Amino acid sequence: MGLNPEQWVTCLSVRFASTTASLKTETEVDTSENEVVAPNFTNRNPRNLEQMALARKERGWKTTWPKREFWHRLRLERTQHYVEAFVERSNGDVVVSASTREWAIKRHLYSPKGVAACRNLGRVMAQRCLEAGINFVDFKAIIPWERRCDSIQEFEKGVKEGGVVLHEPRRIYR
Amino acid sequence: MVAPLLSTALRGARGGRSFGTAAVLWKRAAPLGPMPNEDVDVGNLEALQRYRSFARYLRQAERAGREPCWWNTYRKHTDPPAEPQADIGLPRERLSRAKELKERKRILRENHRNAEMERAARLRTVLIPLDEVRAEWERTSGPFHKQRVAKHCGVFRDLFKGAAFTPWVALRVQYSQEDEHLVPVYYGNMVTPSEASSPPAVSYEADKGSLWTLLLTNPDGHLREADSEYLHWLVTNIPGSDIQAGKEMCHYLPPFPAMGTGYHRFIFLLFKQQGPIDFSQDARPAPCYSLKMRTFSTFDFYRKHKDAMTPAGLAFFQCQWDNSVTSTFHQLLNMREPVFEFVRPPPYHPPQVKFPRHQPLRYLDRYRDTQEPTYGIY
Repeated sequence: MGLNPEQWVTCLSVRFASTTASLKTETEVDTSENEVVAPNFTNRNPRNLEQMALARKERGWKTTWPKREFWHRLRLERTQHYVEAFVERSNGDVVVSASTREWAIKRHLYSPKGVAACRNLGRVMAQRCLEAGINFVDFKAIIPWERRCDSIQEFEKGVKEGGVVLHEPRRIYR
Repeated sequence: MVAPLLSTALRGARGGRSFGTAAVLWKRAAPLGPMPNEDVDVGNLEALQRYRSFARYLRQAERAGREPCWWNTYRKHTDPPAEPQADIGLPRERLSRAKELKERKRILRENHRNAEMERAARLRTVLIPLDEVRAEWERTSGPFHKQRVAKHCGVFRDLFKGAAFTPWVALRVQYSQEDEHLVPVYYGNMVTPSEASSPPAVSYEADKGSLWTLLLTNPDGHLREADSEYLHWLVTNIPGSDIQAGKEMCHYLPPFPAMGTGYHRFIFLLFKQQGPIDFSQDARPAPCYSLKMRTFSTFDFYRKHKDAMTPAGLAFFQCQWDNSVTSTFHQLLNMREPVFEFVRPPPYHPPQVKFPRHQPLRYLDRYRDTQEPTYGIY
């Protein structure tokens, strides 16, 4: 199927937790085959390994900036007319996005750029991330001297208030 | 590193020892596409527009990094090439765009004239109502965002073998707990098996007289085969949005992700039927706790009924083991609970060389079959 072996959770040892179950006589014929379990279990969920903190992060790219050592990265783009926020994977695929270009957000704002827009965009982004199951996000792709400016700090405040943690847990190596 | 002459390299390959140079250019040919920065006029650098700020340069660099290129990159090597996806969903209903734009422009003009909004924006006190924003989002760009998240969670790849659809119908699924607390299911959030032990309250907008099918499947949890799913709930021929009035082909089974297997996806699919369909082949007996009968393939199910129904709504959640799963295995499924352990893939080592250069003593440990480390024993 062409799946990267790291994508599966290939499990080996099967230990049966020993407890007696209450036997139901009418379904005993049906459920007798339930006990047959394959020794190797494969989980196809692509988000499983990163949610268990076992997936690989791209640790190279040490001579360039921004680095790609993350599972999900929060990127804020402030253009002349709009503010956009993206949560993307290290291969560049956007998972969740929010922008003041969308009508749902634009209609409630006086101006689609500026500090107030950034703050509200942060709140909306946090809500969408939590709905998508993304609780930890890497926010290091901000230029250091721009991190101090009001709009980015308000955006960060909005995201934190929404409940998303702005640093990713360390990968479990052993 | 100077590339060796073609003749010297050929001599090496034909006769005795071969060349060990990394970049042996066997044949020089023209590049397969335009080189980057080819359009920059190097003779007249003063006339070029400068970036003048790092932020502008970074935005340009990130955009250029996302563009497709003709040379081999790590991204192309790891990601499979995107195949053209078949669209199996409902056709989009496009309302009058001109009227919509006129209405939106009117609202924006009113906002600009509103002094209170201007003051709130200037003093940075404005807080937009998130639930109204979400309601409007569900109507406008919600389906596209949900499709994007579902694609990244591998829903279309595993259920429909690549064919995707846009969930135009907003499916609202909520699990109610004992203390009147509601746990909603969005597109990928975490729900525990104890919260999902009873059937949820499902609601969606439906015209009177339309028929729907609701399906809950788990593509990750199969204990025997990796490619098939478990059917947890199937309700068919639902009139309007009244789930109780629909015919329950397979009763609700609470989620049972085994311990140690991590997070499983549980996907709610809502199909719009064109007319009443006979699902007697997919009917399961009333209390069905046999995993063999619950083994299911959404692809085959949809292929059987694809002329009469189309997928219209999507919601899924991620679920991990907790204590209620043990009671599900023991009481409902009448089996001993399987427990799994994560096994890491073995680390890759290049083929062993007789005289390794600049390698420590533990080089030998990497290729020995037994575990006898030479490091850390003193």
